Amino acid sequence: MSSFARSITEVNHLEAPNITRLIYRNIKVNTDPGSLTILIGLPAMYLVFFGFGFASLQSSASGGSSYLSFLTPGLMGFQAVMAGTVGGGMLWADRRWGMLAQLLVGPFTRLQYLLGIMLTSVAFGLAGALVMLGIADLLLGALPVSLIGLGFLLAVIAVGSIFFGSLMLLIAAKIKSNTTYNSIQILVLFLVNFASTVFYPYSSALPAAIRVLFAINPLTYIADAVRAGYFGAYTTTVGYEVLVLCAETVAVLFLAVRAYMRSDVSTE
Amino acid sequence: MVDLVVEAEDLRHSYDGNRFALDGVSFTVRKGEVFGLLGKNGAGKSTLIKAMTTLIRPSSGTLRIFGMDPAKDGKKIRARIGVVQQGESFDFTTVEGNFDVYGVLWGIPRAERRRRREALIQKFGLEEVRRQRSFDISGGQKRRVQVAREFIHGMDILFLDEPTVGMDVIMRRTLLDSIREEVKGGLTVVFTTHNLEEADYVCDRIAVIDEGKLLVLDEVENLKRLYGGKKTIDLTIDMGSAARFIPALTQGLGPGTSVMPEGDSMVILTDDPKDSLAKILELSQKMGVQLEWISVRKNTLEDVFLRSVDHGGEPLGSA
Ligand SMILES: Nc1ncnc2c1ncn2[C@@H]1O[C@H](COP(=O)(O)OP(=O)(O)OP(=O)(O)O)[C@@H](O)[C@H]1O
Ligand SMILES: [Mg+2]
Repeated sequence: MSSFARSITEVNHLEAPNITRLIYRNIKVNTDPGSLTILIGLPAMYLVFFGFGFASLQSSASGGSSYLSFLTPGLMGFQAVMAGTVGGGMLWADRRWGMLAQLLVGPFTRLQYLLGIMLTSVAFGLAGALVMLGIADLLLGALPVSLIGLGFLLAVIAVGSIFFGSLMLLIAAKIKSNTTYNSIQILVLFLVNFASTVFYPYSSALPAAIRVLFAINPLTYIADAVRAGYFGAYTTTVGYEVLVLCAETVAVLFLAVRAYMRSDVSTE
Repeated sequence: MVDLVVEAEDLRHSYDGNRFALDGVSFTVRKGEVFGLLGKNGAGKSTLIKAMTTLIRPSSGTLRIFGMDPAKDGKKIRARIGVVQQGESFDFTTVEGNFDVYGVLWGIPRAERRRRREALIQKFGLEEVRRQRSFDISGGQKRRVQVAREFIHGMDILFLDEPTVGMDVIMRRTLLDSIREEVKGGLTVVFTTHNLEEADYVCDRIAVIDEGKLLVLDEVENLKRLYGGKKTIDLTIDMGSAARFIPALTQGLGPGTSVMPEGDSMVILTDDPKDSLAKILELSQKMGVQLEWISVRKNTLEDVFLRSVDHGGEPLGSA
């Protein structure tokens, strides 16, 4: 009888509901509308300005919309990076306003807290990608993406969001100064963004150093894979890229969790 | 047999691997008591609370909360405790939003959440600021929100790290009384404060810690009785005479008394206040020292505190 009673209470304390509560909180109080608008608005502006700006460079014969349709999946992949910064930002906010220590004396584990942030970033990454898709649909009319392709590219973006979320959490766990963190974030955003296939395709004409950056940049893998899903053009290279991305994500996630489980959250 | 909620044995903790913020602390907290933690700034009170609430893992020693090991059963322990930390902690939303979100985090059903929120807002006088952002209210109001919010969920033990800082007299009394009320219903409370009057008012037992060591642990009444025979003389002399007067006075008063100087003032504990007063007057006349203020009173907890901290490791009470 008593062991039955105990098993009931344990059922009540299953992991999943706790995480949903944490995600609910993150969405409700940990994201201010202003910065979210910028986070989604920035890639949207890239899409509009770059899409039309570069299209005017191309000869009108090649079709003005082709760069826009190249850029669309790239920027959808870029949402994974934005999602990562949202994740890092949530950790910062929780430390800054003292809620981190408060949540960690609440009925959660550190891992649940961390997963709560990760999954919230994934949600933002996916939402952002769908917004991109919506804007592209308005600008381009018909989109080539199939339902299966959409499923594939969203999965890639989810994994990518976890990668960049973990990366930003890892940096946030090591760096306690807000200005340093912000500078690093800007640097990471810039490097990751422009040394990738988001804005232009990989080309052997690029200088060697930049080619290396391209090749090791997870955003390149994300952008390529999302583009493959978008156009339904899967290649072996893309297959490898997805594998490497997953392996890298597991590694960075592991490092972030480890660093985070050890960091003294009561210092702030 | 008494139920023990907290059992600590030879706890040590060092943040930097050098200095010990906790330096061999052993004590127990009994079910249903209000346990006061006193000590100077940096004594180790918050560190002790962080260890008991599973936020930090002590460097060594054993700690059991509800008989469980925080390192293994952290989550089970946390599901049964309430914690108001010394530092601010708010969600970036309104006062009532803070209650709501906190209630959701604790899995309190919607209707119950509302009911408790309204009762707490009422009780802690937060009606006027309920729609303001928690960051835009006064210091004392913030403290009220933080304390009141914790009562939105049930718990077996509540840890309060300087909960009354910045609260006005009325609110402080409201809080202390509601602590007493909850304790009647079976709650155990661990409470730190720098206000000895309120410790006296609400605590059953008091521990004084200094430099990470436990100096005194006893029931409030016992602590006061420890100096029961003694009286306290508060004395202030004219500026600048302290340096020559205090050594002479300490010598002149002799055994059975102690002098604790504080600038131009001093607190004198004595077995025989009449005799001491006579000596003080005589000595001040002889040395030409002006007496600005003198009074005799019963011992308070403050004297117990000052004396135990003043005497360093010397054991004054029993653990
Ligand atoms: N995060 C930390 N890192 C390093 N040292 C710390 C940290 N927190 C506290 N300390 C040190 O540990 C000692 C005990 O600090 P603690 O916060 O426990 O004191 P306290 O008794 O709560 O003081 P107060 O009355 O000022 O709140 C102090 O010497 C303090 O400087
Ligand atoms: Mg403290």
